[in-house]
Amino acid sequence: MKFTSVLATVTVAVLAQVTLARFTVGGTWVFDLVLVGVVFAGLQWGPAAGLVGGTLGGMFQDLLSGQIVGVSGLAKTLVGFGAGVIGTQFVLTRAHGRSIIVAASSLVHRLLMLALTALIAQEWPVVSWGALLAELVLNTLAGLVVFQAMSALPGMVARRRAGRRASFGRRQW
Amino acid sequence: MTDRRTLTLLVTLCVGQVLLISAQVQSREGLSLFQVAAFDAFAGVQRVTGGVTDTIRGIWGSYFGLRGVARENAALRTQLLEMAAELQQQRAIAAQTRALEDLLGLEPQVSVSTLAARVIAGNVSPGTLTVAIDRGTADGVEPDMAVLGAAGVVGRVISPVARGAATVQLLIDSNAAVAVVFERSKAGGLAVGGAADGALVGEFVPSLADVQVGETVMTSGQDGIYPAGFLVGTVERVTGAGTPNRTIRIRPATDFSYLEIVLVALTRPQTATEGGS
Repeated sequence: MKFTSVLATVTVAVLAQVTLARFTVGGTWVFDLVLVGVVFAGLQWGPAAGLVGGTLGGMFQDLLSGQIVGVSGLAKTLVGFGAGVIGTQFVLTRAHGRSIIVAASSLVHRLLMLALTALIAQEWPVVSWGALLAELVLNTLAGLVVFQAMSALPGMVARRRAGRRASFGRRQW
Repeated sequence: MTDRRTLTLLVTLCVGQVLLISAQVQSREGLSLFQVAAFDAFAGVQRVTGGVTDTIRGIWGSYFGLRGVARENAALRTQLLEMAAELQQQRAIAAQTRALEDLLGLEPQVSVSTLAARVIAGNVSPGTLTVAIDRGTADGVEPDMAVLGAAGVVGRVISPVARGAATVQLLIDSNAAVAVVFERSKAGGLAVGGAADGALVGEFVPSLADVQVGETVMTSGQDGIYPAGFLVGTVERVTGAGTPNRTIRIRPATDFSYLEIVLVALTRPQTATEGGS
């Protein structure tokens, strides 16, 4: 069940990434919704889910972008695991608290990616600090929206159910 | 804290991926078959999501975004007239060039046959500037084919190329480069991507060449990928002119912020060594 949920989260995140990235190609608006999905899985279901989600999401990105397979996978595995550990150590119930974890994860993920790329290419890649900052902000905002929606969802469903039950009761009367 | 099983899983996955990376770095072959299969499988999904977003954009553009259409129509009519006049001029120049080619006994340049393709997805991994198109090996698309747009050069096809989809590396990607010629000064060089603001940087341009701001930059065809004579961009800034550390910044002609339809050049240019001329 947990694996299916993680797989579904990662698939939705990859789909959202490829669909929305089409509108921002070449701009400074860089975002990584797959990372947001991985952090979400880690915080929601623990370190094991975070690292499995990270491996799946990262490998998916590597396979589809034609890059060396495993680079993004390794970075996201570590970030997903880290997010999961933080999620079990601290009580993070509020959306803005969880989005701070997304911000920290984005920074760590980007630094890991830069370090791995530098190790492979044997030279430090060009770093666009503006793009890095934009990615951090956009990922955090996306995380905030996702966590807010997920925390509001159970309440909305319960209210809907309660409303339906009440109207059914009136009809009976 | 974290249980032993999770830690074992973490170590196994990390070691597995490190081994995978090192195997690819050493062999340079990568997991091409696996990559092509995964890309091909996902291309169908990308096509559907691309179609859905295009439909939404179409509905929005056709029904909700109609303000100022009459004004735009008038402006477009004027532009069309100007373009028609320009086309006449270009035809006259082409006829003159053909006559001169005949006179000098030169072989005429082979025209580029192209294939229209729709952009179906953006870059899945931030940091790499690629897009996916809905044409693949079934349509004759191969790696290292040039991709052109209405305004100018877009990029080139890179692996993986699946049956019904291909990946295009954009010209502004940090690993992209194109052989260029500066139209006014006739200097040759390379335009390399990867600048933070989406500009290209001129490299290997002779330091004595008088490159000026506003100069048009065209493909030279020397790289064996991009056909000669296509617009790359215009020189935006030249710093340190007259010194060995001169930097030439080129603004690309193509607007990469939203790509919809592109053309894949199916014929490759003949380089001087290949052509033997």
